[in-house]
Amino acid sequence: MRHLAYVGRRLVSTIPVLLGISVIVFFMIHLVPGDPARTLLGVRATDEAVAALHAKFGLDRPIWEQYLSFLGRLLHGDLGRSILYDTDVSSLLALRLPATLWLLVAATVMALLISIPLAVLAATHRDKLADQVVRAVPLVGLGMPTFWVGIMLVLLLALKVHAFPVSGFGKTPAQHLSSIILPGLTIALALTPILIRSLRTSMIGVLDSDYVVTARAKGLSHRRVITAHTLRNAAVSSITVLGVNIAYLVGSTLVVERVFALPGMGTMMLDAIFNRDFPVVQGVTLVFALMVVAVNLLTDLAHAALDPRIELA
Amino acid sequence: MTAPAVPVGPVEPLQPLQPSRLPWLRGRGGEGVLRLNPTLVIGLSLLVVIVLAGVLAPVLSPWDPVAQDLTASLQPPGNGHLLGTDQLGRDVFTRLLYAARVDLRVGALAVLFPFIIGTTLGLLAGWFGGWFDLVLMRVVDMVVAFPSFVLIIALVFALGQGTASIYIAITLVGWVAYARIVRGEVLVAKEQEYALAARASGLPTWRILLRHLLPNVLLQAFVFAMSDVVLSILAIVTLGYLGLGVPPPTPDWGSMISEGQNFVFTKWYLTAVPGLAVVVTGLALALVADGVVQRSGRR
Amino acid sequence: MRKPLAALVTAVLCLGGAAACADNGSTPSTSSSGGAAAGGDLVIVRPQDSVSMDNTMVFSNSSIWVFQQMFESLYEVTPDGKDVKPLLAESHTLSADKLTWTFKLKQGVKFSNGAPMTSADVKFSLDKARATKGGWEFLDVAIKSVEAPDDATVVIKTKYPWSPLLADLANFNNAVLPKDYAGKSHDDFYKAPIGTGPFVWDHWNKGTEIELKKNPTYWDAGKPALDSVTWKVVPDDNSRNVQIQGGQAQINENPPFSTLEQLKGQPNVKVDLFPSTKTDYVMMNQNEKPYDDVHVRRAISYAIDREALVKTLLFGNGTPANSFLMPNVPFYDAATPGLTYDMAKAKEEMAKSSVPNGFSTTFLASSGDSTDQALAQVLQSSLKELGIDMKIQNVDPSAAHDLQQEQKYQISHSYWTMDIADPDELVTFAVDPSAGSHSFYTSYDNPQVIADTKKAQQTFDTAGRQELYSAIQKQAADDAFMGFLYYSPFSYAYSTKVSGFQVYPTGNYHLEDVTLGS
Repeated sequence: MRHLAYVGRRLVSTIPVLLGISVIVFFMIHLVPGDPARTLLGVRATDEAVAALHAKFGLDRPIWEQYLSFLGRLLHGDLGRSILYDTDVSSLLALRLPATLWLLVAATVMALLISIPLAVLAATHRDKLADQVVRAVPLVGLGMPTFWVGIMLVLLLALKVHAFPVSGFGKTPAQHLSSIILPGLTIALALTPILIRSLRTSMIGVLDSDYVVTARAKGLSHRRVITAHTLRNAAVSSITVLGVNIAYLVGSTLVVERVFALPGMGTMMLDAIFNRDFPVVQGVTLVFALMVVAVNLLTDLAHAALDPRIELA
Repeated sequence: MTAPAVPVGPVEPLQPLQPSRLPWLRGRGGEGVLRLNPTLVIGLSLLVVIVLAGVLAPVLSPWDPVAQDLTASLQPPGNGHLLGTDQLGRDVFTRLLYAARVDLRVGALAVLFPFIIGTTLGLLAGWFGGWFDLVLMRVVDMVVAFPSFVLIIALVFALGQGTASIYIAITLVGWVAYARIVRGEVLVAKEQEYALAARASGLPTWRILLRHLLPNVLLQAFVFAMSDVVLSILAIVTLGYLGLGVPPPTPDWGSMISEGQNFVFTKWYLTAVPGLAVVVTGLALALVADGVVQRSGRR
Repeated sequence: MRKPLAALVTAVLCLGGAAACADNGSTPSTSSSGGAAAGGDLVIVRPQDSVSMDNTMVFSNSSIWVFQQMFESLYEVTPDGKDVKPLLAESHTLSADKLTWTFKLKQGVKFSNGAPMTSADVKFSLDKARATKGGWEFLDVAIKSVEAPDDATVVIKTKYPWSPLLADLANFNNAVLPKDYAGKSHDDFYKAPIGTGPFVWDHWNKGTEIELKKNPTYWDAGKPALDSVTWKVVPDDNSRNVQIQGGQAQINENPPFSTLEQLKGQPNVKVDLFPSTKTDYVMMNQNEKPYDDVHVRRAISYAIDREALVKTLLFGNGTPANSFLMPNVPFYDAATPGLTYDMAKAKEEMAKSSVPNGFSTTFLASSGDSTDQALAQVLQSSLKELGIDMKIQNVDPSAAHDLQQEQKYQISHSYWTMDIADPDELVTFAVDPSAGSHSFYTSYDNPQVIADTKKAQQTFDTAGRQELYSAIQKQAADDAFMGFLYYSPFSYAYSTKVSGFQVYPTGNYHLEDVTLGS
């Protein structure tokens, strides 16, 4: 019950945030020079054709009026129509969401698969060579531009070794899975340095804590000490790291999806920005923002579940 | 939980911390200045090498970074061109060196403004609280809930290409991180003895903030700024990749990567080397940031 | 009433069984492999998606090249791009006063819904095509009426003698659609169009892919060989190339010239350069000083090293341009004295101009467009020699479009490809300021050239038209209203399994002739 009330409060408090975001996005994208009608109609566009398209999408009305009608539709759950594709934004989102979710999940899973064993290695061999290496090497990942990593991975793994499909998304879940490995790895590589450091710090904290020392003294096996206590704490700190970085994760899909030709929301967003497809930009931003807000909320709930000392306020 | 929102890179959640001071602002008897650790030394040396490479570019290379020679386009390495030439016949190694100037300068300056603005706002919000704090934190929430890179791209679109747009866009997005960090630190620090004492002694508020509080809350913001420079360089490079970075013909690593991309399968180094330059710069700054943290005895 | 939430829920469910969702209700494709000329599913990758299937309104090539596989016109462009030949028409006669054209239709042609094609369908289609606003109706302005005296005959009357009529009828906006959109509304019809062509509508995931299936009842028996064609959107140049190498796609639309060398080295990949009607220009806005000065324009035109551009931008795959018309369009004059690279002459012209000591200006470039980027930097460096300080303003393509069309630029870059086998389309667009395009957005206005353009539209004998178009090309070159840059081919990379693939100079291709080997 306590949690339910908390979730309710949090949800209510996100409304002004989402509203604010909608204002920022709406006015920002409309202030950007460029006209979707001219982009759509191309070099041979006549003024009449441009005017007709403006009228169809209400682009000829004052901007505040456009915002109000956007907001009005939003309240009815309608995200509007894409100017470029003349289709409901929501159905476009529905087509694009799967690839993006696959990518985000794959990136997270791979980041954890790489980080947890390395962090365990570092924490259990503190200040020895293994620890130094595990701490230093991932720092390289901090300065790697995502798109560059993507290009290099395609160059090395896909083309030279022919290990993975080089781009695209395939049609079956199995194909999705193999297509998602390289893009997922690209994002995961950027996350691991931070994940490893946080995990290592928290594991050392646990290993040094009184109850683990006691447990060891009581003769519990090394392995059981690590699994029982350390991983629980590791979970808390991974969730924290991932929660903090969800905005980064979501933003990285823009570039990564493009490099790997994934038909996700990131590529749709870039296309929409380039074509001034206002309704799509607004729709994708709102979905992205919702994802971030939702993940942050889930992070806090997960914390509370994993660590009884944390109070939800 | 206080967590910074950040342009384009992943970030570390802040560790709960003891208030501590920037050693060089309010040195602990001077002993800190000499106590360097290996991480800091390696990081600083790398950084110095990169900065020198940029500064000494005219000495290190006989070529002009923007002079074209259309008869010698895409030459392989050799023949006086250490890394060959690009599509317009310009020396790639020279452009790489000059790009260090551009990217480091723009990267550092792009962090300066959010640092100042964010720190000031965070300081005031933390100290005074009330409606100012409330409004500021809601604005922070909004910016945080945005995939920040989308925001930066859109802002640069709106403002038009140019370094000024890059500064403005990164500032508009980046200040929130500093505001959050400093606000959090102030909330802790203002309950500390020295702050309470200063308040009780009737000193003017600005004096307390500037003289007593600021030096104590700056460390965390400063450490973050170090890694933030990496992130802002990444943002600039990515903008360059999308064709919205530093205007041509000025060389920058991002546009070099993007220009080389069409030849990635035949002349891979045109893409790989500028990318490596970014990676090494990022590594240097990350090591410096790490070293500073270690030195201040935080971890 | 839309159900966005339901759609989102479906999307999430799709994570589990994405195969069903990705196909969007289409029938599972039968991958009937085998020797050549026996089926197969062709995948074409390209940088952008179609915009709409409305053949009377849409200007985007990526839409046109798709719906041309479903829609057919009375005439079609010949493979050399210089003439037309009958397609759904059998033959035509022209009255002595050159105002009445009578067409006999091909018999036995059916729409993909089974209905036979008759003159009533032709009348409906042409009437719709010329009634649009802001579409392609400008090609049909000379048409006064379309009549259907019997099922197999169509009579078109023109307001004045109009020589480009057959070329205009061959254009896709005049394609034959079923009368009254086969009982559907305009919008519904174009969501799942019906035509007489070799392929029929399957599905379109906007922004991702369009799939067409074989028309089993196509009138040209034995065609097409393919079971289906899918156009997939892959924005990144390298990703497209890589998909050809990886076998995920068979045809890559327009790989950049810079990547051809690498592609040619790949086994199982073929690179073809098809003669095109693509011509690139430097636009100079005469509303902006000093571009109203012909000497300045000539100086800039002389200062462009076209050979070097062909070498560095096109990697040798092109030829310098001497006229604003291209070699693959009728009445192109190879003798047109277009300005060529000559720095001495450029300096002479500069000295004669209103700004002998140079000036500063801004080049409007599209970000992310590698041609624009390289061209701008080359031009910047050449113009420096004339004392012209040129800055480069990069904006994204959408904004660049906008600024060009609103003539809020000083100097910029654009290109053209022809749609019909007659120069009139481009000539009117480029030199007639009243045609809605402000003379290719340059505000070039030469009364003699405009008069010749109008005269050429009403001249029927080839020699007479040639004379007029030669005069127009010469004068336009002399006025240097644009800097003509180069002619470049259409580049395509495709799997060696593909045979029979040919791109016409107008950019379209006939997939009914394509076969896929195993």
